[in-house]
Parts: sequence; structure tokens; C-alpha cells
Amino acid sequence: MSAKLGVYICTGCAIGESIDAAQLAQVAVGECHAAICRTNAVLCGAEARAQINRDLGEGAVSIAVVAACSPRFKAESFNFNHGSVVERVNLREHVAWCHKPQDEDTQMLAEDYLRMGVARARKMEPLKPLTDEISKTLLVVGGGVTGVTAALEAAQAGYSVVLVEKEEKLGGRAAQVKKHFPAAPPYTALVADGLQASLEAALHHPFIRVFRGTQVAGIKGQPGMFDITLEGESEKQEIRAGAIVVATGSKPYDASRLAHLGYGISPDVVTSVEFERMAVEGKIVRPSDGAAAKRVLFIQCAGSRDEKHLPYCSSSCCMTTLAQTTYLHEQDPEAEAFVIYKDMRTPGQYEQFYREVQGQPLNFFTKGEVSSVKSGADGQLTVTVEHTLLGESIALRVDMVVLATGMVPHGSEQILKLAYRQGPELPVLQDGFADSHFVCFPYETRRTGIYAAGAARAAMDENQARRDAAGAALKAIQSMELAARGQAVHPRGGDLSYPSFFLQRCTQCKRCTEECPFGALDEDVKGTPKPNPYRCRRCGVCMGACPERIVSFHNYSVDMIASMIKAIEVPEEDEEKPRVLALVCENDAYPALDLAGLKRRQYDPSVRVIPLRCLGSLNIVWVADALSRGIDGVILVGCKYGDDYQCHFTKGSELAQQRLQNVKETLQRLQLEPERLQLTQLAIDEWDKLPALFDGFVERMRELGPNPYKGF
Amino acid sequence: MAERMVVEPDRELIARVMASGGADLKKCMQCSTCTCVCSLSTEQDGFPRRQVLHAQWGLKDKLVADPSPWLCHYCGDCSEKCPRGANPGEAMMALRRYLTTQYDWTGFSRLMYRSEAWNIGAMVLIALVVVALFTVPVNFGFGLLSRSGPAALSTVMLDKFAPKEMVHLGDTLLASLLGLLLLGNAGRMFRAVTRGDSLPLSVYLRNLPGLIVQGATQKKWKECEGEDAFKNWARHVVLVSGYATIFILVVVFLPWFQVQDHSFHWSSLLGYYASAALLGATTWMMWDRLGKRGEMHRFSQFSDWLFPAMLFLAALTGLALNVFRLLDRPMATYVMYVVHLAVVAPMLVVEVPFGKWAHLVYRPLAIYIVAVKRSALESE
Repeated sequence: MSAKLGVYICTGCAIGESIDAAQLAQVAVGECHAAICRTNAVLCGAEARAQINRDLGEGAVSIAVVAACSPRFKAESFNFNHGSVVERVNLREHVAWCHKPQDEDTQMLAEDYLRMGVARARKMEPLKPLTDEISKTLLVVGGGVTGVTAALEAAQAGYSVVLVEKEEKLGGRAAQVKKHFPAAPPYTALVADGLQASLEAALHHPFIRVFRGTQVAGIKGQPGMFDITLEGESEKQEIRAGAIVVATGSKPYDASRLAHLGYGISPDVVTSVEFERMAVEGKIVRPSDGAAAKRVLFIQCAGSRDEKHLPYCSSSCCMTTLAQTTYLHEQDPEAEAFVIYKDMRTPGQYEQFYREVQGQPLNFFTKGEVSSVKSGADGQLTVTVEHTLLGESIALRVDMVVLATGMVPHGSEQILKLAYRQGPELPVLQDGFADSHFVCFPYETRRTGIYAAGAARAAMDENQARRDAAGAALKAIQSMELAARGQAVHPRGGDLSYPSFFLQRCTQCKRCTEECPFGALDEDVKGTPKPNPYRCRRCGVCMGACPERIVSFHNYSVDMIASMIKAIEVPEEDEEKPRVLALVCENDAYPALDLAGLKRRQYDPSVRVIPLRCLGSLNIVWVADALSRGIDGVILVGCKYGDDYQCHFTKGSELAQQRLQNVKETLQRLQLEPERLQLTQLAIDEWDKLPALFDGFVERMRELGPNPYKGF
Repeated sequence: MAERMVVEPDRELIARVMASGGADLKKCMQCSTCTCVCSLSTEQDGFPRRQVLHAQWGLKDKLVADPSPWLCHYCGDCSEKCPRGANPGEAMMALRRYLTTQYDWTGFSRLMYRSEAWNIGAMVLIALVVVALFTVPVNFGFGLLSRSGPAALSTVMLDKFAPKEMVHLGDTLLASLLGLLLLGNAGRMFRAVTRGDSLPLSVYLRNLPGLIVQGATQKKWKECEGEDAFKNWARHVVLVSGYATIFILVVVFLPWFQVQDHSFHWSSLLGYYASAALLGATTWMMWDRLGKRGEMHRFSQFSDWLFPAMLFLAALTGLALNVFRLLDRPMATYVMYVVHLAVVAPMLVVEVPFGKWAHLVYRPLAIYIVAVKRSALESE
């Protein structure tokens, strides 16, 4: 080891009052063989940092271990640009603030953390970023209001854009309405035109190349270097792009499934799209006989918020109906409009429009459930409504019924045709929309560098779609700029590390290529993974999956974590000091633990915490290592998985749970209780449950008795 | 499957109600804050949310059969708390106006509420008739009222100018006529609200004392929890006591109350009480209306000014008449006598069966019917 280790211990922020820093320094020098060990009461101060810089600059130290506050704090302060390795050890939030000061167990904890930090630091290598040629052209798929807005936003920010629209004209569905929803105060009136100007601007902007009547025929490659084939009427085009915005919108729900509301029973029962068309053409009349529509009944949530049809709300149908009542009254001031709703949903400032429309004396609103729509001999429709606000069931005889139907995403229709091993389209969840970690990262999809916006991402109206487009364009630009610097995107934004694969030892088991949440790994015919580093989010799921342990990052590897585990001092059985390993995900769980420390919540000092990028990077060998060293139990704490997942890498904790289940069977053969392994799902707002969680787990380990492999 | 109400909005109703106080009616989004806040609203008989919705939808049959507008005493809490500014308090007031016009079978009420011109015209006409009754017979030598020759001008001799038997007869006839009209309207209301119910007579009889007590004390008003409720109730009780006093004095005890010369009779003391009560209460009410103090006084329509103003004038002229009599000013007395009757007669004719006065019957009756229905349910 020609590496020179420098250990820097901070005694500020109550650390000095909690532990014996001098004794810790002894461990650093004696056991860890530190060439230099310094203690300072204000390690993040200018003086101390200058000293560390000098040590690194003069070559006195090549590996620095900073034992101070949580690595989530003072990142800039402890960033020493010498191409050297710096490792942080958390003595504040995880030792001084949450355990008994001047206590033997607290001291043992601090010393273990130092050993672990040093063990890891010695295996780390300086980062060498990716340096490929990155395209900064944005591809926008879809030329409706969302796509056009995204294209304009990116172009106005100085980026080249390729805009592809499958129809002959731009504008999509937003161009097919009579009037548009209000977008400016006082929000009480519809707008005659909001779109034409944008469409013209997009067609003539020098940075935007528009392809109409064209579709995507195939996409190869990865962010920064997508090779896209476009196919038009007569020609094919090859273009290169750095990021993609998917703005392909949605389509109306199929009303033929709404026979119970009269669709198909009578031609006078129409959808709101059909009604809008009539309004655009200037003649709202009964389709059956062309007679005037003097009384129109609108049924809201037609096939929406309904387990048998669409379970979700499409957000814009109430506004559409309100707008359509104004068209009706414009045509005939004596016409009556009835609106039957489950709720009236006019989000945000649209409430002002609802108030305005309510004021029309010939609009009648009530909550209710339509129980039947029947056609009478006289051609009139009779609608029965139950559970109304009038306090009883009612029957209404009307000329026309309009079903306010919701919108449905294009789902797994062939749009992008990605040449990815995991499939050609964006993965979707239960409702068919491209999913992402909607809580933290709304525009992200499960394909890096590809951003969904507008009604392709979630049901929304035109104005929301515009805002969405701007957001997605910005995210796309951000991803291209990060790629150009060799950095990862969310959630590990700015990360310069990336996984390397020691393919000589690969056994083609295909676990990594299947389990990668982002489809970053393609395969050759044999099943050998082919990494696409710009698709990678650096979560380490591949690293955790690989049974041969061939995947590693320069600053995160199976060996590093295993060394940390082996560095833990496990007391003998008779000392009656259990040891528990806590593998804690960096996204919510580690910050939650920091919060518990910040709030000075105390918990059992038997727990040794190791942060993981994602629980999905759990490699089972760590469990084996821990148990074989006599550690009594292993607890994993990470984000929630499932349909409404919070896992920041979409399925990391779920994979960890599966791997644990597999291991539990092996444990039983080794006469070890499966309860020694536990995975707990936790969100950041549940930080106050952590002390009880840890205490409870340690208590259970005490009850199970010490690990029989102690001392082996 | 229960029979479903076929909805046919009565557009006239909607227009009427919106024009007479329910201007903000359509703003209501049915959140029910008003009904929750109302201290008089109960789970079985909640208001004003549903009434506002019925008015929005023009459901005439439902509204005419609803006693709720009369249960409301306009504390205004609902309007204060309404998040939409839909003014449910004033909407209930508008419904009271509307219902007043609907219960009346003659159609005069509708006419007067719709047109101030007709209202004033009718009152002027009646005033002229009253004046004519005192002047025309004399000119034509009928001496209908001053049978014993021309009125005494040297000293007050009221009975010569306006013989108390004749006036008493006139009073009684008018009271009976107006009473019958009012009773008829009350009957229509009763039938509309109790339509479909066939409750045993015993239930009606059992709750009758309540009706009388309510009519006399208006005690329901005290159940309102608004900060002005007690003051409004107390002021109203004083007004009613004054009115009742003078009503009985004039309709029953006129032969004693109408003192013919300038001597003092102890019944005048009661008259003074009545005058003070009426003048004080109506002045206070008009003062509050002028200054828009409290929710109930924020909106004033013609009918809301007319009633207290007329009562004020009636009390004032009555008092003045008595003062002139005591001062032995014959001409002043006689003129004021005619003026007084020319104020009182139009007021009664227009208000009692057709106008705001009618609430004197509709409110207690509504409270009574609701109490009857409730006690019928309880005994089941």
C-alpha cells in the first residue's frame, strides 16, 4: 500500500463531548496505519481545510478520511480537487447526536465507523469521467401543443430541435377545440385562439426542423447519442439527438363502452369531442333529426373515476363541459344546460371560470348518479338521476345528452421503437401512462434521456400541457448538458462515477440486463451485457444482481462494502454486546436517520450503518459476510415499492426484498433464523420511527440469542 | 322503485327570485356551510342549502310546499360564512317574498311585489277613498259621518266629526275582511305544506299551545346564535306588543279609547305605550337598515322600507291626533284624524293579506306545522 492515509477528526458540533477523540486518533494511527491524523474543533473552517489541502497537495496524504458530520452536509467544504480520494465518516448525526455521550458503546461505535471508513477509502479510486462526443439536439415526438411548446422552449434556450408529427398538420387535439381555457386573469372568459401563433413560430424558428406526416421508425443508442430513423410519406431521415421529449398526447376514451349511459342507443347521445366538433362547425343540433337542441344534459365522469372503465380523473372534462355550455347559450340564449357530476373539478384558477358559468341562470348543476338514459317514442331522451343534491331521484326529459369522457394514453402503442433489450417503448404502470418517480421527478421516465410531457405523461388540459412541456424541455436540456460533462441525471445528478464490467468472468446469467430499472444494458446473442453508460443512473442494481460480482464503480463496489463489514469489530459472545448491520438507502432512509440524529432521538448503539446508493445494489455476499463474521442480524431500510412506489430507482427495494427471500432459505440450512434478516420500507417523513425500528430489531436479536458463528 | 320527480324548471320563478333578493343565488356551489352554521337548522329540516338549490332549479312545487323559509329568522350567519358570496340569507328573504306572493289567491300580492307603481298607486287610491269618506258626504249633504250637523269648530268634539259607532263598524268590517283574506292565504299555505300528510287531529291539538305561545312571544328567534339575535328579537317583541295593544284598543275598545273631547282617559296611557313602542322600534329598524348594520339589514327592497315607514307614520299621526285633541285644537285634530286613517287603511289593506305583514301568520304557522310533523314522527 503506497497510499498515504490521512485521518481528520472533527470535535465540533458536540462530537468532542460525546467521544474520546484522542482514543479515536489512536485507532486511526495504530490500527488503521494513518500517516497523518489531525483533530480540529472546526474541521469545516478555513484553517483546518487549508491544512488538509496542504497535506493532499504536498503528497503527504493521498487518501483522506474526514470523520465529522454527515456526508450530506458540507459537501463543498470537504471537496478537495486533487484527484485524490476523500471518504466521509459520520460521527455527528450517527454517533454524537443519537447515542449516550462518554459511553463505552458509543466509543466502540465511533471507532468501528472509522475502521469502516478507512477500509472503504483504501479500496476507492479517483473518478475518471466519461468523455464522449454528445449531441445537444433535442428530438420532440409529437407536434401538438405540448410538443410545439417544448420545441419552442428548447429553441429559445439556444438548442437545436427536431420536431416530428405524424399528421400533416401541427396542433393535435388542442387545435380542434372551438375556444381555449383561460390562461390569464381574471380567468372568467374563454380565449378564441391561443395556439396558432405558437404553431407558426415553431414552423419558422431557425433552430427547429419540423417533419410533418412523419413517424419515428426506430431509435438506437443512448442519451447524448441517439440514432433516430424518421420515416415520412416518401423518405427516410437519419438524425442524431441527445435527448427526447415524448409529447404524443392521449386519445378520448372509447364511448362505445358507455352503452349504459345511452351511447349507441340514440344518435342524440354524443361525446364531448363530438359536441365540440358541432360547436366548431357552428351548428349544435340533434344528430337524429337536425332539430334544435333546446335542452342538453351533460354527464360528467362518463367512464371516469369508475372501476369498470377509467379509474382516474382526466382533469379537463369539467372545464370542457363548462365551455360547451357557453357555446350552447351563444347559439341559443333560451337553451337550458343540465350538468350532472360526481364532483366539479376546475383546478387552480379555473375555479373563477366555474363561478362565471354558474351565474348563467339557465345552467343547472347537481351532483348525482345517472341511472338510465332512454329514448322515447317522441324522440326525446329521458335521463334518470339518483342521489342528487335535491334530496331525491329525478327524471329529466332532454334533447341531447353529452358524455364528458376522459382521456387515455397511447400506452404501449408503437411510437419510439427503441432498440433496447428491455423493450421498444416506455414502460407504463397501471393507468397506461409512462411512469416515473412522480413524487420527486415528474418528467423522468424509466428510460434515461427520454422525458414524457403533456397528456402522454398524465391527463391534463392545454394550459397545463404548456407548462409541462417547458418543464420537460428543461429536463431534457439538463440531461444533455450533464451527459456532456460525463455526469449522471436524477436522482444521482452530477455523479461522475459509472459502472465497469469485468466481462471475462461473466457467466451470461442475464440478471443484470433484466433487472436494470432503466434498460441500460443491452445483450449480445450469448447474453453478455453490453453497457450503455449514458443510459445508466448509477444506482448499482446491476452490481447487486451479479452473482459473480463483476460490476463495480470506482467509488462503490462489492469489495468496498464487504471490507467495511469485515472492518467491524464483533465482540465475543460472552460480552453480551450484539452487533447489527443496517444497510440503509441514501435516498430517503439515510436522510431520515440524519433527521433522527438532528432531533437527538436516541437508539441502540449496537447498530452499524452502511449507506447504499439503492437497496437494489444489495449483493447477497454482504449478508453472507456479515453473518459469517458473527454479526447477529442484518436490517435493510429503504424506500417503498409497489404500485405507488417511492423507490427512487423504481424497483430497487423490491429487488432487494426478493434477494433476501432467496437467501432466507439458505439461512435455514445453516441453522440461522430467517428473522435475522429484515427489510423495512420507510419514507423520509417517517424518520421518527427509526429509533424504535432499530431498538426493536436489536431486541429481537437479543431474544434470538447470539449468532452461533461469532468467534469463528 | 320510488316515483321520480320530473324536473321542469320554472323560469319565471328563477327570474322572480333572482330579481327580488336572490341575485347571487347561482353562485352557490352546494357546499352546505350555510346549513351547518345555521342554529335553527336541524338534521330533519335543514336549510338553506336545499332551498337555494331548489330556487336555482326553479322547482316551484317543492318551494311552495317548504316551510323552511319561515323558520329562518335571518341572523345572517349563513351569508357571512358562505365561501361563494351566494348570500343564502338574502335568498331566504327572497323566497319569503316569493312565497308571500304565491300563497295569496287574489294575485294582488304578486302585482304589488312586482311593481312599486301599483303598490303606491293602490295605497294612494285607498287613502283618497278614506279622505273622500270624510269630505264627500259632507259636501253632498249626506252627513254620513257628521250626522249631528257640521263638525264643532270651537272645541274638539270628535264624536261629532267621526262618530265612534261608525268608525268602530268600519274598523271591524275592515279587520274582518282583511282577516278573512289572510286566513284564506294561510289556509292555502297550510294545505301546500301539509299536502300528502294525513295526521291525526290529536297531534294538531297537542301542539296548538305552542302555536299561540310562538305567535305571542316569537321565541324561536332566540334560538338564533347570531350576536344580534337577542336584540333583534327583543326589539321585535316590543314592536309586536305595541301593535297588538293599539290594535285591540282600536278594533275592540274604540268606544272607550276614542275620547270625544279634550279630557284625559286612562286608556290613552296604553296608547302612549303602543306609540312609544312602535315609534321606537320602527325608528331603530330603519336606522339599522340605513346604516346596513348586521346581515339582515344589508339589503333593503321597497317592501322592507314600506312596512316600518308606514307603521312609523301610523303611530306618529295617531299620537299627533291625540296631542292635538288634548290641546283642544279642533281643526288640527280633525285633519290629523283623517290623515291618520288615510295612513292606516292603505297600510293594512296592502300589507296584511298581501305584504310583509302576512309573516305574522306564516311564520308561526310554519313553525307549528314543523312541530306537528316532528311530534307525529316521534310518537311513531
